[in-house]
Amino acid sequence: MTALIIDDEIQIRRLLRMALESKGYTVRDAENGQMGLQEAVFLKPDVILLDLGLPDMDGVDVLKRLREWSSVPVLILSVRDQESVKLAAFDAGADDYVSKPFSTAELLARLSAIQRRQGTHDAANLKLGPLVLDPVHHEASLSGHALKLTPTEYALLAQLVRHAGKIVTLKQLLRAVWGPQAEEQSQYLRVYANHLRKKLEGSTLEIKNEPGIGYRLEET
Amino acid sequence: MSATDSPTAPPSPTPVSLAEVGQYSCGLTLVFVLASTCWVLLPYTGDLFVALVFLMAIVLAGTWWNRGPVLMMAVVSALVWNYFFIPPQFTLHIDKPQDMVMFSLFFVVALSMGHLITRLRAREAALAQHHQEREHLLELKHRAELLAESERLHRTLLDSVAHELKTPIAIIRTALDGLGQGNPYAREIETANRRLQRIVESFLEMTRVESEALEPQPDWCEIGDVLHAATKPIQEELAAHPLLITGTTDLPLLRLDSRLLAQVLGNLLHNATRYAPAGTNIEIAASLAGSTLELRVRDHGPGLPLGAEDQLFEKFYRAPDSPAGGTGLGLAIARGLMRAMKGDIEAHTHPTGGAEFVLHLPVKTRSAA
Repeated sequence: MTALIIDDEIQIRRLLRMALESKGYTVRDAENGQMGLQEAVFLKPDVILLDLGLPDMDGVDVLKRLREWSSVPVLILSVRDQESVKLAAFDAGADDYVSKPFSTAELLARLSAIQRRQGTHDAANLKLGPLVLDPVHHEASLSGHALKLTPTEYALLAQLVRHAGKIVTLKQLLRAVWGPQAEEQSQYLRVYANHLRKKLEGSTLEIKNEPGIGYRLEET
Repeated sequence: MSATDSPTAPPSPTPVSLAEVGQYSCGLTLVFVLASTCWVLLPYTGDLFVALVFLMAIVLAGTWWNRGPVLMMAVVSALVWNYFFIPPQFTLHIDKPQDMVMFSLFFVVALSMGHLITRLRAREAALAQHHQEREHLLELKHRAELLAESERLHRTLLDSVAHELKTPIAIIRTALDGLGQGNPYAREIETANRRLQRIVESFLEMTRVESEALEPQPDWCEIGDVLHAATKPIQEELAAHPLLITGTTDLPLLRLDSRLLAQVLGNLLHNATRYAPAGTNIEIAASLAGSTLELRVRDHGPGLPLGAEDQLFEKFYRAPDSPAGGTGLGLAIARGLMRAMKGDIEAHTHPTGGAEFVLHLPVKTRSAA
């Protein structure tokens, strides 16, 4: 597995390199956006850690350029105070974030979560722990028992399962389930997320809320 | 006149100001003064000279006076010229056809000049006013732009400072994570680093609250999520204090800034963990009264120093017997944030012991069913 670290702080790059190498990653790093993009082209890493506070380019712009030709999982490293920038990063295609100062264990967990592929798509079932979704019949079952879901609830759950472990922004969820014209109607989302939470109660799955950003379905 | 006529005076069709009346009388006087002068000079100048004198007077009058007086002057001077100067004198009748033509021409020229000059003046005045208004608007716009720019610089500076302070703290944390659990010295560094992080974050937040650049961003949320966000950063501290939460399950969706409210709750809870003895409960009670959300956070510690219920929320206030390591900003930040969200916070000692903080927040609600 190869990882690319794009961060202007040399100490952060060194420390993250040590942490990732100890987990078996091959690590390359870049100190600014321009070099980061070049490395991404040559290296074709399996995962990218991207700092938002880069000296030469806006981290979000790096991400936008990257997303023009690559769907590589990207973990954002941010200083917590930039809420609006974080949201912009997610809209631009980031998969998850950690705030500095972060716990290395959490960073590594998020890193592996965003690299996890959802196995097979489309025809075959979506599986996550005790949850199985049948995309053909729009049915779901939890630990073998059928889960009664309305079509909207199924659509919402499917989105979360498809991006399991990763954050899905409010806008993405609204667009996927209700269509592009509903991007501002977060209250529908809250209500249905609430329904799903109740239905998943007692299982090992939890729908976690990221304030101001979106939701994440996690296995606990 | 019927008996039901209104007692008020009938309105005049065009109001005539006092200044204008003055202009009328001056104009009339001027015409006659000029006429008298020309009468004296008539043997040397001829009657055509008179017409030109009158025209000059009309033009000059046009540069100062309103249209009405100027046109009146034009008419009166034409008539005076006719009566007193054009042969036969002392009648309005004109003998020679060429004199008739001259008279008509004078009339036309006098009236049009009067009209044109006054219109020109009015146009100039309008332009000057327009110019003045534009200058004023530009000044306002300029001031607004400067203010926006200064706010933007302020925010950029704050972000820079935040970045500079948090980066070394993040580096220390990552390095300690790499050292692993075995080292007792590392454990001390870790505790101190976490304390440093808290202090830095408190100062940054206090600055943000005070700069009044804080704009709450309300969105629909579940109170459970807010509580979760509040407790997540202080899980370790809360380990010694069981949380008893009531009232949250019945609440509908609430429209508020969950990040700010979580911060307020986090500060209150963190305080409770520091002042209340280990093992004691911390109780959170949520309720909705109309469109006001009420949250009560209560601990079973020593309670508040007597009389300090309000002073508590001032910056850098530390209770006399408080444990070392606090910034004295937690409650000041909490109040600043509550007020920024158009709510408020108050504190008192609970009758059965411990401190109780009450938050009030205006919210919109929506059924979560």
